[in-house]
Parts: sequence; structure tokens; C-alpha cells
Amino acid sequence: MDLENQKRVKEFAEEFGPENVIVVIGAAEGEAAGLAAETVTAGDPTYAGPLTGVSLGLAVYHICEDVVKNEVDPAIYDEQISMMEMVLDVDDIAKEMESIRSQYSKY
Amino acid sequence: MNSILKGTSYVLVHAPDMLVHGGTTQTTERIVNPSSDYLKKLPEHLRSFDEVISYLPNQVYIGNKKPSDMTEAGDTWFDKPLKETSRFGAYGEIMPQDEFYMLMQICDVFELVLLDKGFVENTRPSFEKHPLVDETQVALIKDGIDIDEIINAVENEKAEGLYNNGSLIGCVKKAHDIDENLSAHIILENLVSKASCVLSLMNLVKNAGINKEDIDLVLDCSEEAVGDMNQRGGGNLAKAAAESAGFTNASGSDIRAFCAAPVHAMIYAAALIASGTHKNVVVAAGGSIAKLGMNAKDHVKKEMPVLEDVVGGFAALVSENDGLSPEILSEYTGKHNVGTGSSPQAVITSLITDPLDKLGIKIADIDKYSVEMQNPDITKPAGAGDVPLANYKMIAALSVKRGEMERTEIDNFVKKHGMPGWAPTQGHIPSGVPYMGFAIDDIKSGRIKRSMIVGKGSLFLGRMTNLFDGASFILQKNETKSVEKINQQDANIQVTASSPQEALPVQNTGFNQTIILTGTGSEHGEETMILGASIAASKGINTLYVGTKTADGVKTIQATTDKDAHDVMEKALKSGEADGAVTMHYNFPIGVSTVGRVVTPGFGKAMYIATTTGTSSTNRIEGMVKNAIFGIITAKACGVKKPTVGILNIDGARQTEIALKKLQDNGYDISFAESKRADGGCIFRGNDMLAGECDVLVTDPLTGNILMKTLSSFTTGGNYESLGWGYGPGIGQGYDKLILILSRASGAPVVANAIEYAAELVRGNYKAVANSEFAAAEKAGLKDILNESSTKSEATSTSNETTAVKEPPKEPVTAEISGIEITDLDDAVEVLWKENIYAQSGMGCTGPVVMVNEGKLKQAEEILRAKGFIN
Repeated sequence: MDLENQKRVKEFAEEFGPENVIVVIGAAEGEAAGLAAETVTAGDPTYAGPLTGVSLGLAVYHICEDVVKNEVDPAIYDEQISMMEMVLDVDDIAKEMESIRSQYSKY
Repeated sequence: MNSILKGTSYVLVHAPDMLVHGGTTQTTERIVNPSSDYLKKLPEHLRSFDEVISYLPNQVYIGNKKPSDMTEAGDTWFDKPLKETSRFGAYGEIMPQDEFYMLMQICDVFELVLLDKGFVENTRPSFEKHPLVDETQVALIKDGIDIDEIINAVENEKAEGLYNNGSLIGCVKKAHDIDENLSAHIILENLVSKASCVLSLMNLVKNAGINKEDIDLVLDCSEEAVGDMNQRGGGNLAKAAAESAGFTNASGSDIRAFCAAPVHAMIYAAALIASGTHKNVVVAAGGSIAKLGMNAKDHVKKEMPVLEDVVGGFAALVSENDGLSPEILSEYTGKHNVGTGSSPQAVITSLITDPLDKLGIKIADIDKYSVEMQNPDITKPAGAGDVPLANYKMIAALSVKRGEMERTEIDNFVKKHGMPGWAPTQGHIPSGVPYMGFAIDDIKSGRIKRSMIVGKGSLFLGRMTNLFDGASFILQKNETKSVEKINQQDANIQVTASSPQEALPVQNTGFNQTIILTGTGSEHGEETMILGASIAASKGINTLYVGTKTADGVKTIQATTDKDAHDVMEKALKSGEADGAVTMHYNFPIGVSTVGRVVTPGFGKAMYIATTTGTSSTNRIEGMVKNAIFGIITAKACGVKKPTVGILNIDGARQTEIALKKLQDNGYDISFAESKRADGGCIFRGNDMLAGECDVLVTDPLTGNILMKTLSSFTTGGNYESLGWGYGPGIGQGYDKLILILSRASGAPVVANAIEYAAELVRGNYKAVANSEFAAAEKAGLKDILNESSTKSEATSTSNETTAVKEPPKEPVTAEISGIEITDLDDAVEVLWKENIYAQSGMGCTGPVVMVNEGKLKQAEEILRAKGFIN
């Protein structure tokens, strides 16, 4: 995950409390989504950014997972996401996200 | 008139030592972790020059191989070195590092580059032999200095070392004691960019066959900032490179937009030519030393060679239309706006479909998309995926969303309209532009008709905005000549003013559609136009008039010039204020032509003439087949339930008939009209036309234009078009504006009729009719039939060059076979000769005929039918 984004996630978690922050990811494939999810839960696996060794355990979802998708106005989802959803391996992403959440999410 | 893409060049510079000493991944690592395993292992993963030139993507970049060669070779290429290679290619070259240092010194006008004496001695011979290095450049080579001086500069004076095969052979000095912007490192980055840009310019001059003196302007679109502490991005690297390339009559300026800059620059260049500001503009960029080895950590980790070891460069010449080279469609460019948003869907829509919608074509009508052509050999091992593939999938998905294709077709779309990426990851270098060289060849040779070049950029990297950026333009087969011919035809017909005549009685009343009429440009003056508008208004049609005159019941919007009037008209159509427009001289895109309507003099019956202006296709047969469909659409929208179709007996009529009948056989519903002449059929002579024996008369637009003028003005002596409904609506696949055309000689009755014609089309829901007719024709295999007829016309036109066929023994020929196209006549004779049937060509009373012996008539007819000469 981009170092700048790591910094912002860390600051939000400190400001609002980690239980009040949900991270929504838009990565285009499972591995990348999993890495980003791992970063905001277990800590930065690349040991490069501000979340290195910081296990925030945040709730983290991908935008294409049903639980998030169902919260979005269908018209906006269709306008903004549906095209990408068509080319993504959503099942693989969801599997990866679920795996990270079950291991590291605390909220 | 559109500008053209005249030529391109693509260069690579092998830079293994610059990778180690100047790439940011490595310079950062040396600061953070100077004793890392990565830095130790890196040298083992560097490639030799031979390995670099035997790397397939590099050979594609310089034009020795094609993108399709990569597809054939598999998914990875670093593990499949080519056996036969060359450092020079059709589009450019791959320069070794040592020669490039020499070029850098030549491009340095401030004596900041110092090279070792021994190095210069060893490298000079190969550099002087370079086919593009001229005497002026050779004269600039310096002898070199003692290595101790260089060591001292690097160790004590903050100079940047230049290395070759791991040894120090020179340096770049700092250009200022305090100013960081002139530090040795920045000067090195800028000089690498400049010198690789110069190398691109040298190759462009050769490839495009242009004199250096004829270049007016160079636009540099690289990503380096040139300047000092008071103007850090002061710029004009373009002019600096133009100077070193010897472009004495050129000026220059820089375009910066991260990776999107090359496409922005191409659009500006095209506009500068189209506006007449310049005649020859070069868009060029050198490469980036910072990006060398950007993903090298992953390559080393995966035990691969470090593939980001080349600096890239390219140049493109944009010129005035030569009637041959691909046109850049300046009016149909894509751009990502501030308010577009950053979702991939919004980005792809703004860059891909917005311009296509404007042009009235579909996503699949672009044969090849050139996107971020980054080499997946480099990006995949680094976890960045296959960038071009992801882009192609997004374009395909958008096409599915728009209902233009099925979801199951996505993979096929990617294969057909996409390519594997072959460009090095040098930011702006892979951004859409790498395909332009191939595009020129593919379009000129007819392999493809259109390509879209798409560039995107990540502006947030500079921390001034979070916005994304992108731009796109279309390259298209040069069709200027055919369009010009039609315009010329219109201009050649001289008409003088005369008094308006009384309006014809009209049948249709009670419309509530709004039609806008532009009144400027008429040869009979605005009085005639406003009179036409007022006649239409009196019949109950809401009529808007654009011009300076007023009339009761007509709303006038003020405009004095044609351009202003057209702007008002376009705006009204776009906003929905008007449902349709009537105007003179509208530039329809290729693929759109107008269907006129006349009163046939025999029995006063209305007849649609398909078509009368515009260009349905540059291929004659394809155009006439399309015209038939356009005519059917217009007639049906105006309430003719089953329009009958006749084909005017002009060049191409028989082939058009064959194609249309195939379409009919495949299930497209066409009712052919029957000639009243003794021999019947749907090929119409002048008599049938005068009698109005069909509803839709198919013709080419030039002939249709003459018919319109003749049938509209024969009662007035020719100078005032008083009859009929004018040249009609522009129809084409995907074209959804309703614009009807008048001639400058159209009189008030025709103007009024044209407004009513427009209202009829709106009321008849012409858009829905067009969509369903096009869908039905496509379903009946329109595309394949058109391909077949256009390749057949090409095949027959070249067959004269084939070896002569032996003439069979002569015998009496008294039986005639008619229905053969005049241009195919000789080929038909030859085909029969090949089958050992003696035949002669001749002119029968209904047109060209092939004559054979009575006894062989049946056999001959079968042969000619099988070969598609008759039906």
C-alpha cells in the first residue's frame, strides 16, 4: 500500500478510534487486495511504511464484496463500479479478503 | 482539413551502468540500505548489449518485429532470445551505452560532460560510423581528458560519475555551486533525456524522409524539468534538442502532463497544422534515467534479468494532409475533464466512448486500441499485472455495458482489438504512442482502418492535485480526396439568384416538432430562407430561424456568419431545443451520407435518392450497399412501409445488386423494384427514374447530387431549385443527429419542404428505425458481405498484372451474357478462357456483355455465376 495512504489510515484510526474505521479497497486483483487488507490489519508486510509492525486490525472490505455493494445506491454503483466488476475476478478477491479478515481483523 | 501522421521513430539506449548508478530504486537503496543483498546481486542480473538486442519486445519497439510476433511467442519473452537480431530497425535503433555517452557529450553545450581520453579513443570509430551521425556532430567530439581529473571531480566536486562495464570513464559536472536544480545529478538526468530525444529526432528525419530545415516546431513531451532555482521547470528542452539535431528553422516548446503528455502533444501538433499555424510539427521525447531498474528488486528476487535497462525515446512528424498518410481526427479527441471523476468507468468513458459517440461509431469500429503499452514481462513479476490487458478488458467491458456486444465476447475483443505491451516502463514512452509507427503501416496497407491512441497520467505524483489525467485521438485511413471531390462537385455548380416561386402544396399538417433552420450562405439571400421558414411555420411546425431576418410565427436567433449559425444549430440540437436541423454544407463524418427526396416528373411521385452528399464509404460498392440501407431507413421513417429499391445503372450497380441480394438471401427484408423496361430487373435506367418506378433509388453521392439538382430545378431553367424536399438527412450507423441538407441554390418551397421532411423523420422516430434496420442488416451478415465485395473489387483491379491466360481456339460467338459490371468485363472473359471457353467482350443494347458460343452459354453462365460476376 502507498506510504501516504498508510499514513492517512493510521491517522484516521488514531483520530476516530480503530473500532470506528472501515477501510474499503478497490484493488483490481486478489493478491493486491489481500496485501492492502493485510497492511491495515496485521501491519505493512513490506516493512516500508508507517504501518510496519502496527496491527490496527481494522474492518476491511473490497468494494465489490456483496456486504459493501448492497450499501451503495445501485445507480451509483452501476455508474462507477459495474464496468470494472465485469473484468475483475470478484470471487478470488472476496476469498482473499475473507481470509485476511478472519485472521487479523479485530472489529 | 485534418492533419496527418507522416512518420515516426523509436529508439532505445542500453544503459546498464546508468541503471546501477542513476535509477531511483538503486539510489534510494544505497541511501537506506547500502550493504543490501539486492545491491550485491544486481550486477549479476544485468544484460549484455547482445541480450538486449535479442529481446523480442525491444525488436518490436524499433520495428523489426511485430506485436503479433509476441503473441505467437507466448506469455513471456525474456526467456526466449531471438537468434537473428539487429541494432537498427525499420523505426529506429538500439544504441549501446558507450556510443550514447559520446552523443551526450555532443549534446552538452556547457562543457559539463567530461570523458576519459582512452574511452573516447576506443569509442570514436564506432560512433563516427553510425549512419545518422553527420560531420557537424563528428566535429563536436572532444578528445577526452585524463582519468585523474574525472576521479577528482567525482570525489571532490560533486560530479556524477559515468560508468561503462562497471568502470568510471567520465562524469557530469554540477552546473552551479548552490543551486540544486543545476546539480550534477539533475544535469545528468536532463542530458540523458535531451540526448535520447536528439537520437529520436535523427531517426525521424530518416524515417519520414523530410529535410531538417522544413521542421517548424518541436514539442517535447518527456517528464524532466529543465531550469534553475528561479524557474525550476523553465523548460524548452524541445528547442535544445532541435538545436542539437540541426533543425535550424524550428522553434520548440515543452508539453508536460506526466505520462499523458505525448498524447496531449500529438493533439496540439495536429491542431497547429490544421489551423495553418505550421506545416511540420514534431512531437518527441527522450527517456528517463530515474526509471531504470524501477522494478529491479522484484526481477532480482525472481532470478530474472533486470529488464528495465533501456532508456526510451520516440518522435513523430505531424504534417499537412498529403492524401496518403493516416489522418488525425482533430474534432474527435477524448479528454479527461476536471469533473470527470476518477473511477475507471468514468475515465474510459471520457477517453474512449465520448469521442466515438461524437463521431457516431461504436467501440468495435476502432480496429486497434493503443493504450499503456507497458511490457508485462517487466510489470507482472513486480505484481503490477498486465497493464495493456487490463485496459483492453475495461474497454471491452464498457462495450458490454453499452449493449454493443455480449459479455462472452470480451476475450475475443481483447484478442482482436488489443496487442501485448512491448514498451519499456519509461512512463510517457509506453503511453499510447508506441503503436503509431505500426499504425501508419497497418492503415496505409489496409490491414486496419482506424486506431485510437490513448494516454493516461497520474497527476497526484506531483502533489498538486489528486486528479487523474488522460487524452486520446483517432488515426484514420486518409479519406480526404474522396470528401474533397464531393465538395468540389457542389462548388462547381454555379447558380444565380432569381425570385422565389410559390410553395408546393404540402400534405402533412399538425406537427409539434421543432426544427431549426440556418439562413446564412444561400445564393438567393436570406429573404428566400426566411420565406421558406415562414411557409413551414404556417403549416404548424415550430420553426427556429438562425440569421438576421424575421417573420411572423418564426423565432429568429441572431447570427451573421455560417460558423456562428452552425454553432447555434449544434447547441440547439445538443440541448434538445430543436429535434432536427436544416442547413447548408454540413461536414458529416465518413460513414454518413444524405438521402434526398424528389418529385419524379412522370407521375409526380416522391422518390428517395440514396444518397446525395457525404461519404458512406470510400469503397464504391460498400458505399452503394450502405446507401441502399440508408434509403430504406429514411423511407420507412417517413411512413413507406415496404420501400421498393432500384439501383441506378452506374458503375458498380451490378456488384451492388449482388451484395444486396446476398443480404436478402441471408434474411434482410428488401423489396426490389422492377424496371418497366423490357428486360426488367432492379437495375434502373433513366426512364425508370423519371417514372419514379421505385421508392428508393440507390446511387453514389456524386450522381445522386446531380440528380437532385436536375430534378429540383429543371422547371426554373436551372438556377433556382423549386421542387422536392432537398438533399435530406445524414444517415449513418450510430449517427444520431438529425441534420438535413439544402443547396445554396435551394428556393423557398424546397426550404419549407426540407423543414417538413425533418419533422416527418422526427415523428417517424427515425432513430429507432435506423437502429432496427442496421441491426437486421448486421444480422444478415452485412459486414462479411461488404468485406467480400470490397476485396473482390480490389482483387479484380489487380488481376491485370497476373500472367496472361492462353486464348482458346476461336469459334462463332452469338450468345450474350449480360449483367456484368463494365469494370469486370475483361476478367470475366479471362475466367472463361481459363475454363477453355472462347469468349469475347462487347457492348449489348442493355450494357456490357460477354459473348460465347450458343452451345456453351449455359456452362459459361454457371461459371460466371459461381465466380460472382452475374447473379
